[in-house]
Amino acid sequence: DKLTRPWLPVSKPIFSVDIHPDGTKFATGGQGEDSGKVVIWNMAPVLREEDERNENIPKLLCQMDNHLACVNCVRWSNNGLYLASGGDDKLVMVWKRAAFIGPSAVFGSSSKLANVEQWRCVMILRNHTGDVMDVAWSPHDVWLASCSVDNTIVIWNARKFPEIVMTLKGHTGLVKGLTWDPVGKYIASQADDRSLKVWRTMDWQLETNITKPFSECGGTTHVLRLSWSPDGQYLVSAHAMNNSGPTAQIIERDGWKTNMDFVGHRKAVTVVKFNPKIFKKKQKNGSTPKPSCPYCCCAVGSKDRSLSVWLTSLKRPLVVIHDLFDKSIMDITWTLNGLGLLVCSMDGTVAFLDFSQDELGDPLNEEEKNAIHQNIYGKSLAITMESQLSSTIIENPEMLKYQQERQVNQNPNEAQGIGPESQTPKLTNVLNGESLEDIRKNLLNKQVETRTADGRRRITPLCIAQLDTGATAAVNSIGMKSNLLLTSASKIEPMKALDSRFTERSKATPGVTSVPLTIGITPLDRVKDCSSVKEPKGKDETSSDSEDKIMVKSMAKRKGEMEGAEVVEKRKKGRPRKDAKMMPISQPFPQVTFLLSKDKEPSRLTTPIAVLKLPTPSIQKSFSTQVSTDGVTYLEVENEVSVVSGSRLSQLKWSREGREWDALLPSRIIIAAGSNDVVAVACEDRTLSVFTACGRRLIPSIILPAPMSALHCSRHFVMALTASATLSVWDVQKQTALVKNESLNPILSGTDATVSQSFLTQQGVAVVSLSNGKTYCFNSSLETWNLIADKQDSLVQCTDFRNCVSAQDALGSMGPLALTQGRNLSAGRLASRLSSTPHHLQQGMTLAFLEKQLSSALVLLSASEYRHWLLIYARFLVNEGYELRLRELCQDLLGPVHKSSSSSWEPTVLGLRKRDLLTEVLPVIGQNLRFQRLFTEYQDQLELLRLK
Amino acid sequence: MAKVQVLNVAVLDNPSPFGNPFQFEVTFECMEDLPEDLEWKIIYVGSAESEEYDQTLDSVLVGPVPAGRHMFVFQADAPNTGLIPESDAVGVTVVLITCTYRGQEFIRIGYYVNNEYTDTELRENPPLKPDYGQLQRNILASNPRVTRFHINWEGCAEKMEDSENVDPAPIAMRPPSCTPGKAPPLGLVPDNSMDCL
Repeated sequence: DKLTRPWLPVSKPIFSVDIHPDGTKFATGGQGEDSGKVVIWNMAPVLREEDERNENIPKLLCQMDNHLACVNCVRWSNNGLYLASGGDDKLVMVWKRAAFIGPSAVFGSSSKLANVEQWRCVMILRNHTGDVMDVAWSPHDVWLASCSVDNTIVIWNARKFPEIVMTLKGHTGLVKGLTWDPVGKYIASQADDRSLKVWRTMDWQLETNITKPFSECGGTTHVLRLSWSPDGQYLVSAHAMNNSGPTAQIIERDGWKTNMDFVGHRKAVTVVKFNPKIFKKKQKNGSTPKPSCPYCCCAVGSKDRSLSVWLTSLKRPLVVIHDLFDKSIMDITWTLNGLGLLVCSMDGTVAFLDFSQDELGDPLNEEEKNAIHQNIYGKSLAITMESQLSSTIIENPEMLKYQQERQVNQNPNEAQGIGPESQTPKLTNVLNGESLEDIRKNLLNKQVETRTADGRRRITPLCIAQLDTGATAAVNSIGMKSNLLLTSASKIEPMKALDSRFTERSKATPGVTSVPLTIGITPLDRVKDCSSVKEPKGKDETSSDSEDKIMVKSMAKRKGEMEGAEVVEKRKKGRPRKDAKMMPISQPFPQVTFLLSKDKEPSRLTTPIAVLKLPTPSIQKSFSTQVSTDGVTYLEVENEVSVVSGSRLSQLKWSREGREWDALLPSRIIIAAGSNDVVAVACEDRTLSVFTACGRRLIPSIILPAPMSALHCSRHFVMALTASATLSVWDVQKQTALVKNESLNPILSGTDATVSQSFLTQQGVAVVSLSNGKTYCFNSSLETWNLIADKQDSLVQCTDFRNCVSAQDALGSMGPLALTQGRNLSAGRLASRLSSTPHHLQQGMTLAFLEKQLSSALVLLSASEYRHWLLIYARFLVNEGYELRLRELCQDLLGPVHKSSSSSWEPTVLGLRKRDLLTEVLPVIGQNLRFQRLFTEYQDQLELLRLK
Repeated sequence: MAKVQVLNVAVLDNPSPFGNPFQFEVTFECMEDLPEDLEWKIIYVGSAESEEYDQTLDSVLVGPVPAGRHMFVFQADAPNTGLIPESDAVGVTVVLITCTYRGQEFIRIGYYVNNEYTDTELRENPPLKPDYGQLQRNILASNPRVTRFHINWEGCAEKMEDSENVDPAPIAMRPPSCTPGKAPPLGLVPDNSMDCL
């Protein structure tokens, strides 16, 4: 390995270092002159000596002194767009690169180095009441976690800053380190309270609390940066003790066992950092490839100023570097390829270590790494948020094609946000094409100056760039280059009396209880560091002299100011924390009272239901009904039209578009019904006659057990409901009975309800609605009554699947099921009002409802509705992540791939080919990358079957 | 963190005759829309010995200030020579640019100023009574001294927050008579008096 000594001209302590995911730059955080300091450095000069010597390659890219106090941690987001920093000023700042044109410098700073890149603070996260010690982005940048000496960990919603997802409380000491597990299932924290806690991201509750290895530890380290291995199997703590010796404790994910540790450092371990890569043994040329276990690599830094690098496959460290720095190691970061390592120290330096593949091994590629994750954590990751999977690797071309098609169809804006560079903010030039130089020439004359009511001058500043777009337009040349002649600068004798005027506020200024932070003041314990600052160039003797004097002066003043600061501190401590408290869900489960229609409605069924009796229509002299919708068809009935040889004849007259026929019946007609195919009439003498659409009698009169209560025809089916509450359905074409004199007793007994409506579906399924709002159909294959709709069903009212219904679905929902549920299908009606219903409850109810709809459509033999609900159901399963159900559904739709006689699989359902349905369902599944394996699996099999 | 960052101050018309107005071109950046104006001042230090001789050359309100980068030129008349101690007219002094928000100074930019005669004759034998017409003002523009102060940007909003943060317990313990006007006459305690207790 190669060790490069740092060239960074930094002399203040560096507390944190992090390499950008693209490997081109890295950030450091630490103490600045009068503030915390975040610096972004160019990586190239670190990696290559020739770049280091090249004057044209900038080393420093940007420095930000916005933090009011020392910066303890800097971390790049996984996508590289943001940098998060946390500091002693209790703040977490999120930085984003702004478009830039030229370099600029911090105004008035002694450093003359220009900023090559412009990074702007886009968000300040305030919640901690103490110094922020560590920040960590979750996998996929869903959350940002920060921990603090206020003993809490705050989980910020990284997609909706500054929203707080949760505040994790439980530590009783300063929390000094954070790490997410690689699949985002856990976050671990280590604190001065001699504990390491693992929290679940599912419910943000404590998973485990590990104290034993830390019982001997004292709170002596500035940071406790722990780390999770890239395969997720091991969590390694910072400072732990074993037999009075400092160690880094290895915690196994499996059961949180603490049987192993890294031993050897002479002082407390401050930082542990796993290499992002998983390695396998380097295959030597010629040797037969042996399957070897993949292993991880871990760097451990300590207060003893030394660094050790370990492989999990070796018992001894791979390398130990003693006395790397003059002071404690504070942070470690690996390059993305896993071969480089930056280490920073309290002494203000950064060291770079370079490994070769021979030393570490062959890094696994992302696929192999993913395969390990899949193996260990199963196909379904714990997190249910779909958005989190946006960065999931698309594993096969089919899926990729599908996803790409999807993106094209989607809002193009959405598709844009993926590439890291596409996010570069656009410039909003408000200068109307004028160059800044031109504007500057005339600014005094052009700028708008008015007088306020009390006669004061008021200047409207010229806006040269709008900030909200992240743009910082053409302000470049202003920098700190002064084109002025410095005549006799050396002659100017700095005067002490004048110097003080620079920093002391005029007495006229209304003093607020704020703490002046003046140039040159640094915390006392860092005096030595700052007094040793020697800027080698860019400053003439006299002015640097004066600066030193100022520094000394302000040092003397510092004490008093410090006291003031403490007062402010205390005052602020009284503030209640603005934690996002979860409101207790007090609203109970919606109580839906089932109306059992106890209120006696005037009914013909006043007697206890010994014999069920349905009402029969009264006999009319004549009546007519319209029977068919396509082609206006009328049935006209005229009872007792003529008397022939003592018997009274009744006439049935059928007419459609001018064609007509009539039939004579020997008894008075009670009910007539018809479809396109058949006409049925029930007579007073309990006979039922059935004719074809042309008037030909199909069957001899059927004798009914009781007078007819209701009669329906649909296609070639005839349904009869008798007064004695029995149901019959015949298929007159096939001359078979589908339902044989079945009693309505099961659905009517025990209630006072009566039949309010009945009808026959196109498929010959009899449907009976009762006055209590329930609707049943008779399932002739199971010979049972099935409940298909219930207006008072609480499930219906609390479901919410609206987001699973697409626009074109509205068409498919027409059918008998919709008819029975009708407008009263109040699905989701209550959903909005029940926003406090726990999600899982609503999820369960919706699932139950959708499955009911599906089975109802099946029983009603309503193919179009079955398809309609199947797609909604599939979408719901995909959205909510029900993988098992989804898999079962797919399996049923696919059926056996190879023909076998034993299989009872039906290739169709309700006349729909199941595999066609699967073809429709698969794109729904493909929308969620999480189910890409499922998608691929069935897509492939379908393709296979298609080829057969 | 300060909502306003001064990015640059360019000193215009420098060096210049003593009687010329001061001109500073200020570029600043604002993190978010400011509901109130910024107040900028130019203060001329007449004498190092005492603040008594400080002259506020001018003060100007700058606004409205939306989030973004802005610039303006602050011009102020030359100091009133009558207020400058004669012994301090020639030589090095200081000019200060300050900015306040809601009455709180958050930045102070100081420059050394050297006033001297351009005429070598005058330089070697300066008159007892300064000849301001012959003096040249030279601002050491390359070496600004910037001091930033931590202020309360939310202004009165913070005070409200603080009052909210007073522990409610003492208030609850207070006898009802402590809230004058609300205390019911004895013996006529209304039903809701339990709320007060």
